[in-house]
Amino acid sequence: MGFGSKRTVSLSSFIIWCTLAAFFVLVLLPTFYLISYVFLRWPEVNREVFANPIIGDENWNQILKVLFFTFRLSLSATLFDLLFGIPLAYVLARKKFPGKSLVEDVVTLPLVIPTSGFGFATLVTWTTASGIGGVFGSSSGAISLDTLIPFINVQALLFIVHVALTFPYVVRTVETKIQSIDPTFETASRTLGASSFTTFRKVLVPLMIPGVFSGAVLAFARSLGETGATIIVSGVSSTASIAIVRWTAEFKLATASFMGSLLVIIAAAIILPVEVYLRRGKRTLRFSSHFPVSLSRQLLRLERFTSGKLARIKDFAPLIVVVVTVIVPIIVVLNSVILFWPADPYTGKLEGGVFYQLFGPANYFNHLLQATLTSIVVALISTYISMCVAIPLAFIIERRWYGSFIRSILKVPMIIPTSSLGLSVLLMWGSSGINLLSTGIWLIILTHIVFSVPVIVESIIPAYEGSDIQTYEDSARTLGATEYNATEKVSIPLVKGGIITGFILSFTRSLGETGATFVVMGRNVTVPALVVNMVEALAIPAALFTSTFLILLALIMLGLIRVATRRR
Amino acid sequence: MPEVKLVNVSKRYGRIKANDGINLTIKDKEYVSVIGPSGCGKTTLIRNIAGIIHPDEGEIFIDEESVSNVPIEDRRIGYVFQNIALFPHMNIWDNITYGPHVRGLPQQQTRPLALEMLDMIKIAARSEAYPHELSGGTQQKTAVARALISDARLLLLDEPLGALDVKVRTELRYELRRLVKDLRLTALHVTHDQEEAMSISDRVVVMKKGRIVEAGTPVSLYTRPQHTFTANFVGEANFLKGIVVETTADTSVVDIGSGVQLRANRGKETVDERVIVVFRPEFAVLDKPIEVNRLSGKVMDVLYSGSIIRVMIKLPNDETIAAKRIASFDKPMYDVSESVTISVSPDNVLVYPYPEEGLKKALALE
Amino acid sequence: MPLVKLVNITKKFGEIIALDNIELSIEDGEYLCVLGQTGAGKTTLLRTIAGLIRPDGGEIFIEGELVNDVPPEERDAVYMFQHFALFPHMNVWDNVSFGPSIKNWDNEQVKTISSEVLEMVRLSDRQDAFPSELSGGMQQRVALARGIASGAKILLLDEPLGALDARLRVDLRRQLRRLVKDQKLTAVHVTHDQEEALMTADRIMVLRKGKVEQVGLPSEIYSSPKSIFVASFVGNANFFEGNVIEMDNSGSTIWIRGDYQIRVSQTDRKVGDKVVVAVKPTDVIINPDSHKGKNVFSGMVDSSTFVGGSMKYKVIVGDGMVIFSEALVSNIQELPRPGQEVTVSFHPARCCLFEYPEAGLLKEIEAI
Ligand SMILES: Nc1ncnc2c1ncn2[C@@H]1O[C@H](COP(=O)(O)OP(=O)(O)OP(=O)(O)O)[C@@H](O)[C@H]1O
Ligand SMILES: Nc1ncnc2c1ncn2[C@@H]1O[C@H](COP(=O)(O)OP(=O)(O)OP(=O)(O)O)[C@@H](O)[C@H]1O
Ligand SMILES: [Mg+2]
Ligand SMILES: [Mg+2]
Repeated sequence: MGFGSKRTVSLSSFIIWCTLAAFFVLVLLPTFYLISYVFLRWPEVNREVFANPIIGDENWNQILKVLFFTFRLSLSATLFDLLFGIPLAYVLARKKFPGKSLVEDVVTLPLVIPTSGFGFATLVTWTTASGIGGVFGSSSGAISLDTLIPFINVQALLFIVHVALTFPYVVRTVETKIQSIDPTFETASRTLGASSFTTFRKVLVPLMIPGVFSGAVLAFARSLGETGATIIVSGVSSTASIAIVRWTAEFKLATASFMGSLLVIIAAAIILPVEVYLRRGKRTLRFSSHFPVSLSRQLLRLERFTSGKLARIKDFAPLIVVVVTVIVPIIVVLNSVILFWPADPYTGKLEGGVFYQLFGPANYFNHLLQATLTSIVVALISTYISMCVAIPLAFIIERRWYGSFIRSILKVPMIIPTSSLGLSVLLMWGSSGINLLSTGIWLIILTHIVFSVPVIVESIIPAYEGSDIQTYEDSARTLGATEYNATEKVSIPLVKGGIITGFILSFTRSLGETGATFVVMGRNVTVPALVVNMVEALAIPAALFTSTFLILLALIMLGLIRVATRRR
Repeated sequence: MPEVKLVNVSKRYGRIKANDGINLTIKDKEYVSVIGPSGCGKTTLIRNIAGIIHPDEGEIFIDEESVSNVPIEDRRIGYVFQNIALFPHMNIWDNITYGPHVRGLPQQQTRPLALEMLDMIKIAARSEAYPHELSGGTQQKTAVARALISDARLLLLDEPLGALDVKVRTELRYELRRLVKDLRLTALHVTHDQEEAMSISDRVVVMKKGRIVEAGTPVSLYTRPQHTFTANFVGEANFLKGIVVETTADTSVVDIGSGVQLRANRGKETVDERVIVVFRPEFAVLDKPIEVNRLSGKVMDVLYSGSIIRVMIKLPNDETIAAKRIASFDKPMYDVSESVTISVSPDNVLVYPYPEEGLKKALALE
Repeated sequence: MPLVKLVNITKKFGEIIALDNIELSIEDGEYLCVLGQTGAGKTTLLRTIAGLIRPDGGEIFIEGELVNDVPPEERDAVYMFQHFALFPHMNVWDNVSFGPSIKNWDNEQVKTISSEVLEMVRLSDRQDAFPSELSGGMQQRVALARGIASGAKILLLDEPLGALDARLRVDLRRQLRRLVKDQKLTAVHVTHDQEEALMTADRIMVLRKGKVEQVGLPSEIYSSPKSIFVASFVGNANFFEGNVIEMDNSGSTIWIRGDYQIRVSQTDRKVGDKVVVAVKPTDVIINPDSHKGKNVFSGMVDSSTFVGGSMKYKVIVGDGMVIFSEALVSNIQELPRPGQEVTVSFHPARCCLFEYPEAGLLKEIEAI
């Protein structure tokens, strides 16, 4: 027994302290700064929001209206996701069929797709002649920008975009949960005489409830904070996150930050209780069915009758959601770029063509090159820094007693609307805070780190928990490895798949992020922000091209994820 | 009445033939065990019968009726799993009444049934408990009760005792048999524990690599196995290589090297054939050797398992064999290197043709 | 000096006392089996020795040195998991050479040791295979090789055979013991299988609810159990409740319900005491050669079970005294059948006498 341990022990704890410090400064501080900002400058906020000398509490009314609208949208999108997402998750988790991995990829796509580009693709698909309308011979789109869905009073387009972007959160989370449930329970239920529908309702649903909750929470949070696609398809109405962008641009900082804080607090108030509930023991919901007996028996009979027949429909209907909301826009936008390449196919004008806009006097191509460079630099640097924090952080979460606490606070940056986040970073580091950095590339990077760290951590953790790392590490320890050695030689290689997936997810997320970037970018425009600028400048063909570019980039990334995860 | 018949059932997974032309009939009210090394297709067999998977070839009949198109829930089987699989979100009562409930049986009919079941496995007092609050043994008993209540006619058990402590395992296996016999059920029990299979079954089926090697009553499998693999898998045995030197109408004499010869009851072997001679350690008489089939050698090692001692003896031909005896304290003990003589009655010496793939391969357990 | 010494080791998990004042010495080169039911604290004990768990109280010495604060990697004790925990991302060679190379031994040395050890477990030809490509038995050998190569002197084996087929287990337990003995290692082997413990151990420690119930040679544990629990757990004894009615130099006589008398050699109780007599089924002889002696009863075979190699009988004597007997089968034809009248007998020296437990007999022997 030697003395070699001192060095490595201090090395481990040095790494732990550095990680925790970086985590605190880079990730936590900005997200809480906003709220403290509102408290510290309450008089200013009060004057602007509630007691404006000119417009009184008009801003407050605005805030209320926007919030109400946002919640209606997010809630309805989440419910819709659950309705179709759970069956799809079941199929993906339990059934084998040809083309399954393709379906999984398509479901994952919205996670990596740059949202502004995707928003634009959806816009083109539904509201123009080159989209769905055109297929049915209409000279305008299938629906207009402000077609409302009855009852919930939300624009159809907005709803479609939000469903597309939040759907994977439900499907993926529930799928993972179902995979972790021993299929023997279902077999047992079947042999006891329950039809497959009854089995689903009485065995699987209660067991997967935690997964459904976490999926719903993620989807809801995502919808609440979505900016990139929303800004493009929102038309006249405004969601909370867009309002923040707009007000920041109008220098109504007090109103914007008040709105941002409200959003954070409300999101936390909805989401954290669910988190706490789920974390407290691995309990599942216990349903005692208080159905009247006769009803329950009729339900059983119905289930038995339909089990054989409707199974197929139940299995594959949800796929239509994915096809319509994700695949079709992508095809349409690719197709449109080709159509519009030389000139506007409807008017024949050269100026309406992609080529002219890119290389003509406007020279959008140059802008695009510039923006691409910015985007890639931002994505690389922010992902790199995030990895340095996230990998040790994931191990700390799994190993230390305070780990689950850290994991819970890590939820906060995940559920914060990105535009609030951008605002927060801006206020903290910018001229009205520490005054260290002004808007521009470094501020974008700092913003992106905040949401990248949780993304990477959350992809490492399942890999860690899925492969019984503790056992391998204990083995390594008794074979003579120090904790540091064991982590380096055994644990990290074992979670490599998770690390790579985390890297790619974080990279693409950074590449495609719009909301926060918009607030902090100043003159360093990124590609997704460029799409928004183009749309606002009505340079539609250029926007088409840029969106296509972004979507292709996302597809490449998706391919990389597949390669990375398939190798196990 | 449930008679289960498998005709030429095969199931492949990629290149692996998990079940390869299985023909098996389980008679009404028979308790049949299937044993075999890991991966030989026992689970696949039982899942085929349950209808969880469908055979690629062949057909399964229950009560003379083909069940190819009968879904799992209508086959009236009780299935008990190694990992127990009690629903974790339901208490014991709800678990037990699950079957009747999902079949739509009215409550007033379910209640007495469930009470009877709870009584039978003696856990009526704990019907409000959740599965994780009970010990493994009690959980598995509950699982059996749950499988039996919904009017099952055929009980399929896939290593039902595998997850339990040895001590609990041995106690529970007798309870299982008693339950099946009391309720007059037919049972198919999969295990890789030959002792378990022998002690509770009417008939034992030995499988290897997707095929049935042989089937028979425990005693016949033990005393007259048809294959060397069975002789090794079911109980312990000594295997010696030899050549047949002489045959008469009812005996053969086998030379096992160094001039040592063993006499056995005549089988199909012929003079000059290469054979394997097999006898069980407990049939090797240590104390009062009889006149025929005497083998002398040196004691290599003496091993105890409780009150049975196992003497390892090196024969002149350098092969080591085992002999067993009760460790009774009024008989002498053996010292290492001591010379001893054992004898085996010709009735208990079995002769098999030398396996083509070599002895080691033929006996391989993995 | 013992290689490993535990003094007063205690470990609690919340309310549960997993280890309760454990005292144990393990000699160099010894093969110790720890036997106990689920939840007895066997794993906790091994992990404490390995340094993967810190005890709440007590001291652990390895080679005379207090190691409470020494991390696992410096204890020279390798812990082997039930499912072997071979590193799935490394092939056999890398797994085996993990220990030596992590300790920064020089390359040549790592190579020689690893190939030597692989040779020893007869897996040299599979050194490029990954763990998932090996059978259970092979994986077990790789895990052993990995432990030995790391230079560990103490092998901590947590149900090393538990993941394997019942039949394979029987073959492998012999190999395991031989390897440990050939390499002059010290092994602590945890199991809940009494037969496995009896067959492999130099010494057995029986653990129950975190407490040491008995430590001794296999023959001691089997033949002279110190408690009702051990008598029941190891060897499944028959138990008879009764009172001591007579005692002299050569033994005591116990009166049991149904008006039977059992003679035992032990004399350490008083006349009138309520006691429990334990007799192993293997000590109960059916149809003995002579019917003189003590403790001879006639009864009827109620049921018999063939367990391969031996036969278990349930014999009912008179109205209700049940005696289980187990005998080696050396001639199937002559065995008594259910319904047949038989005599059973057991030697007074083979009986163990215990004080009647306060909590009742059942509480001590129930397994489920
Ligand atoms: N779903 C499956 N996909 C691919 N291969 C399978 C599948 N199920 C079983 N197999 C293969 O079929 C063979 C037989 O498997 P089976 O589970 O029936 O064996 P078993 O006798 O029950 O083994 P064990 O004792 O380990 O439970 C094995 O080689 C196994 O790998
Ligand atoms: N990490 C832990 N947290 C809480 N309780 C624990 C923990 N580890 C063990 N225990 C408890 O301590 C007791 C002893 O556990 P241990 O795992 O040592 O038993 P064991 O003898 O190895 O049992 P088995 O045969 O089931 O492996 C059990 O009651 C167990 O529930
Ligand atoms: Mg199996
Ligand atoms: Mg254990």
